[in-house]
Amino acid sequence: MGDDIVLVIVVATALAFDFTNGFHDTANVVATSISTRAMSPRLAVAYAAILNFVGAFISLEVAATVAEDVVEQGAITPTVVFAGLIGAVSWNLITWYYGLPSSSSHALIGGVIGSTIAAVGTGAVLAEGVVGEVLVPAVVAPIVAFFIGAAAILACYRIVGRQRPGAVVRGFRLGQIASGGLLALAHGTNDAQKTMGVITLALIANGTLAEGAGVPFWVVVSAATAIAFGTYTGGWRIIRTMGMRIHKMDAAQGFSAQGAGAAVILSSSYFGFPLSTTQVISGGVIGAGAGKRLSAVRWGIAGNIVVAWLLTLPAAAAIGALAYGVTRAFGTGAVGPVVVTVAAVALVAVAFARRVRQGAPVPAG
Amino acid sequence: MTFASIVDWDALLETVAVSVAAGLGIVVVFSIAIYGAARFAEGRRVGAPMETALAAVLTVVALIACVGAVAAGIVVMVTR
Repeated sequence: MGDDIVLVIVVATALAFDFTNGFHDTANVVATSISTRAMSPRLAVAYAAILNFVGAFISLEVAATVAEDVVEQGAITPTVVFAGLIGAVSWNLITWYYGLPSSSSHALIGGVIGSTIAAVGTGAVLAEGVVGEVLVPAVVAPIVAFFIGAAAILACYRIVGRQRPGAVVRGFRLGQIASGGLLALAHGTNDAQKTMGVITLALIANGTLAEGAGVPFWVVVSAATAIAFGTYTGGWRIIRTMGMRIHKMDAAQGFSAQGAGAAVILSSSYFGFPLSTTQVISGGVIGAGAGKRLSAVRWGIAGNIVVAWLLTLPAAAAIGALAYGVTRAFGTGAVGPVVVTVAAVALVAVAFARRVRQGAPVPAG
Repeated sequence: MTFASIVDWDALLETVAVSVAAGLGIVVVFSIAIYGAARFAEGRRVGAPMETALAAVLTVVALIACVGAVAAGIVVMVTR
């Protein structure tokens, strides 16, 4: 009974993480469309939410990687998964508070690794999977997106450079409706699957599913719904960072950045690499800016984003380990997760209230 | 176990190749569609029917190629 309560808390926390993932990453998906005025904020966010939901049903390769290749399935408990999720949610909220587009995916994987190390040591972490399927793609993907974004914008300007600006801008704005949709679809495909993977891991750890079991359909539907709802709720602060503060984009740059991001995320999802969609989209955005003019990119802000990337995995791991320690201090039953959840919800409420008072991270509208 | 053996380089290189081909390809082909649309508008403005017709064909073919590439990519993912 106690284990089932813990499992319910884990699933609820995972879906809350998925919600924050959508909330946090809305900006990555819609910022370029909004900043180039291809779509109104409200429409862009609603459109992204619907395509996030649809995207979650396209593939399950990433969910399988998260469930099977990051930590030893047989060595962990639902409490470990719970603590990992707390690490991820906490880091997501810290970076949201400061307006930094860090990676929800690396926060999740870092949190689970940290809590696993705290619970059973480093032996249960599958170094091969973490390095080969998470860390190396994490480095490669944004760089590839950067170069695609840069090459694409150069090609765009070369092809349409001598045409009347009005027709070209209208054309790329229309194109952004499609490329933005594709990016939202890609985001749903890669990011919702990570939550599916973690819930599946918890179900296996609890003995509800057998080791190596696939993702149940109800998990797919609930993860898709949570990320879509989070996306709809949006995150205005990061929309500003992504859309305006890195560099001011024109419609062709927005289209190039979105095309680069969607291509990298979708092809990575196909091969089961749980990428940071944030990093990839940032790579595409910076590439599309640098391709036009290196000085157009505000490198200081781009540098802050890089620092947030580097910190995410270890910081979420540290919080995940701490959350495990605090949870276990209350024993092995449901009391620890309940206390930590209540504390986490209280902290979230305080952070949200402070942020709203200071400058409105409000739903786009 | 070496670093080189941990990483599935084939899958990673294939991911990079597909990303470059799809990302760059779609942006380039869509830019050609916009070029065609701009030439179409210009052709109509100055009354050049041949150029207008060619530009219309270019635009339509490029748009079909874009939509086809996206649809093919999604079908490949769904049917894996």
